[in-house]
Amino acid sequence: MSSVNKIALLTFCTALFMAGSAVAKPGVAAKGKEIYDKRCTWCHGAEGAGDGASKDRLNPPPRDFTSGNYKIRSSDFADPTPNDEDVFRMIRDGMPGTAMPGWSDLLAEQDMWDLVAYVKSFAKYDKPPAKQVDYGTQIKSSADSIEKGKKLFEDGDRCVECHGKTGKGSASKRLKGDAGERTWPRNLTKPWTFRGSNDPKDIFTRISTGIAGTEMPSFADPGSKKKLSIEERWHVANYVASIAKTDKKVNAENTVIKADKVEGELPSTPDDAAWEKTAPTTFYTVPQIIGGERYFMPSNDTITVRAMYNDKMIAMLLEWDDRTKSIPGDSDAEKIADAPIAEDGVAVQLPVVIPKEMQKPYFGMGDAANPVNIWHWKSGTKDAAETIALLNSKGFKEIEKRDAAGVGLKSKAVYGDGTWRVVITRPLTTSAPDKDIQFSEGRFIPVAFAAWDGSNNGEKGSKHTMTTWYWLLLKPATGSKPLITALIVAGLFVGGLLWWARSAAKKPAA
Amino acid sequence: MTQKRRIPRLLQLVLIVLGVYISFVLLFDVALHQLIPKSLLTMYMLFVVAGTVMVFTFTEEGAQELVGPIKALVEDPSKKMIRNVVFVIVPLLAGYYTYTSMMPSFEAPMELRTIHPAPPSKFKAFGKSFNLTTLENPFRKFEKEDPAKFKDLVKEGGNVYIKNCQYCHGDKLDGRGPYASGLNPTPLNFQDVGTIAQLQESFLFWRISTGGPGLPAEAAPWISSMPVWQNFLTEDEIWKVILYLYDYTGRRPRSWANE
Ligand code: HEC
Ligand code: HEC
Ligand code: HEC
Repeated sequence: MSSVNKIALLTFCTALFMAGSAVAKPGVAAKGKEIYDKRCTWCHGAEGAGDGASKDRLNPPPRDFTSGNYKIRSSDFADPTPNDEDVFRMIRDGMPGTAMPGWSDLLAEQDMWDLVAYVKSFAKYDKPPAKQVDYGTQIKSSADSIEKGKKLFEDGDRCVECHGKTGKGSASKRLKGDAGERTWPRNLTKPWTFRGSNDPKDIFTRISTGIAGTEMPSFADPGSKKKLSIEERWHVANYVASIAKTDKKVNAENTVIKADKVEGELPSTPDDAAWEKTAPTTFYTVPQIIGGERYFMPSNDTITVRAMYNDKMIAMLLEWDDRTKSIPGDSDAEKIADAPIAEDGVAVQLPVVIPKEMQKPYFGMGDAANPVNIWHWKSGTKDAAETIALLNSKGFKEIEKRDAAGVGLKSKAVYGDGTWRVVITRPLTTSAPDKDIQFSEGRFIPVAFAAWDGSNNGEKGSKHTMTTWYWLLLKPATGSKPLITALIVAGLFVGGLLWWARSAAKKPAA
Repeated sequence: MTQKRRIPRLLQLVLIVLGVYISFVLLFDVALHQLIPKSLLTMYMLFVVAGTVMVFTFTEEGAQELVGPIKALVEDPSKKMIRNVVFVIVPLLAGYYTYTSMMPSFEAPMELRTIHPAPPSKFKAFGKSFNLTTLENPFRKFEKEDPAKFKDLVKEGGNVYIKNCQYCHGDKLDGRGPYASGLNPTPLNFQDVGTIAQLQESFLFWRISTGGPGLPAEAAPWISSMPVWQNFLTEDEIWKVILYLYDYTGRRPRSWANE
């Protein structure tokens, strides 16, 4: 290697090393402004007041930098000034679960430091914070520490007050952000939606500083009734890190819901233990921003599906986290809900005819030539029980209401701890094959879902969350055929090879 | 002819087939960022094996040389040990292959579709007919004539974009908006050289105003989540958002003049 090459390599390695660690570098605010004006004004506004064009269509709204609120910071709870590294980190990595993206793939490191300097100037932060979060000595996670953390989490409703007993954020009260926007306590079982991360040190930092501009308080504040010591905060952090529900995480490769064949009765309630034996498939649900009246501020983010069938029926278990049980007419439910409250709901969409070729109905409620069945479950009101409706639609303007009971479509739902679980059953076949999907084994059947949170921001009708097409497969029972065939094939090969060897041996050597 | 130290023909054949196999997998993975579908790979490899065997057995000697080692294995008494091993492994492999291919596959069906289909020459939107061969962005001319006005137009386009498109195509225009991963097929990445840089502004106008449902059948309009923007935006807003797409990414539209 020539010496020039060596130097180049060395510089490259150093550059890599520096890129990996965010050591504060003085940024130049004037340079930051240039980048900001091209990339950030759309959301954060020309003067940093969070009033860009997108403002009314995002929740959480773009940050108003003049407020001086920084959610993710590591300075002492009493000092709102963020460290440069804190701001840099959010610009570099983005804030999961919001419209704020990470910029490291588009901007150079120095650009991002320049942005830090400019962004901070909106709140006139010109000095570093005087005090930092005191971490003491980190307590490593262990069964014992997690147990202690759980107690502290629940004691006096410390965290349960907002995050609920299971941490899913099932609401018992309405929370607001400083900008007046509705805020939802984080679902702590879904750490991939944390703005920071669920590394215990990050969680420790969040509960020490609180989350500025929201009602999430500081637990390091000696004035707080719910105050926690450093040691206690480590236990709580370890506990929170331990409650992640990874089976609710979307696996993008997994686009097929596989229904297992069972002998005997299908489970008819969500609590049936038989569901545990089937594999769940989780999909993202996105707000309906495609047609009709659009919807921009969802509160639900995923749906988890399981399915089973026997020789007569199919059953699906739909499960999705919804922080509020929305029951119109119920005064507690109405208190937490955005008025007007509507029922919660879920829908399954299936083609009336299972396509033989690639062509499917349009994913948004079918089209003129390719109608879909929609099974629409609603949670009921104070005076009426849950319902399930059957709709046939050819696009969202041509909808026919049908008799659900007539085709044997049934549902049973349970709400608990921030999660709806609904079982829907239907016979595999019906007497109207031109109107109803006829399920059959081994076919890949397009399927899509939608969900409504009736307490959130007017979710109703075309305002809901949804998926695009995925697949449902009734897994055929395979029997012993493959094994027998494989044995026969192997046998034939052995025979053939032996015969070849024997005839070669008989042949006089050439 | 010096034949010493040459790789045996049989090994050569195996190496070539293996090489092609790996390059297929890599090509899909690295260049196209997706796993190559199994059925497609099997089909490609069938052609490759058939092709190479044909080339290798083109001459009589070539063929002899190729099957030589195999014949020797069966006929040469000194190779008894290897022979026995091979005689166990080959039937086992055949049995295993049969078993796995008979077990039903739960891999989702493949959907081959054209992402950039040939546009129609005429299309209907906003209640009138547009001729794609002559259609031009009415605001493009201000880029030279009135740069200040052009800048304002781009900004208006940016406002349309951030209020309507960023959810899917991303505020960095990289196809990775907050909801992109919930959509299949995923929204297109405008930073990529393979999208808007290859297209004319009139093509974009057609795609944006008619959306997913406006696509021809080979592009599978029924799965595309791209909205029909003539339902939400005005003609002018669409032309402005197009200005913004090119301005933000620093790309140039293709135009008749440059052809
Ligand atoms: C698509 C809209 C959008 C764009 C463009 C955008 N942001 Fe944000 N940004 C947001 C939202 C929304 C939040 C608030 C997230 C929250 O409160 O959870 C945010 C928050 C932030 C925060 C606060 C971090 C904290 O700890 O609280 C910083 C800093 C920030 N953005 C910097 C930038 C910079 C710099 C740019 C331009 C390079 C930019 N943003 C571009 C939407 C955007
Ligand atoms: C008064 C209500 C309230 C209480 C009490 C509360 N939280 Fe929160 N918490 C919130 C809200 C609201 C948010 C979401 C803030 C936002 O919108 O970014 C949140 C967010 C969080 C986050 C997410 C941080 C991130 O990186 O995104 C964690 C972790 C968390 N809380 C842990 C706790 C723990 C542990 C406790 C008890 C020690 C607790 N919270 C008590 C309201 C509360
Ligand atoms: C709901 C998600 C969604 C929204 C919102 C959306 N798009 Fe799309 N867009 C897509 C998808 C998905 C594709 C790719 C479709 C395909 O592969 O056929 C696409 C394709 C396109 C294309 C075609 C690019 C090419 O290379 O052929 C253009 C141009 C485009 N979108 C522009 C826009 C503009 C401008 C807006 C806002 C006015 C917008 N999109 C909003 C999902 C969306």
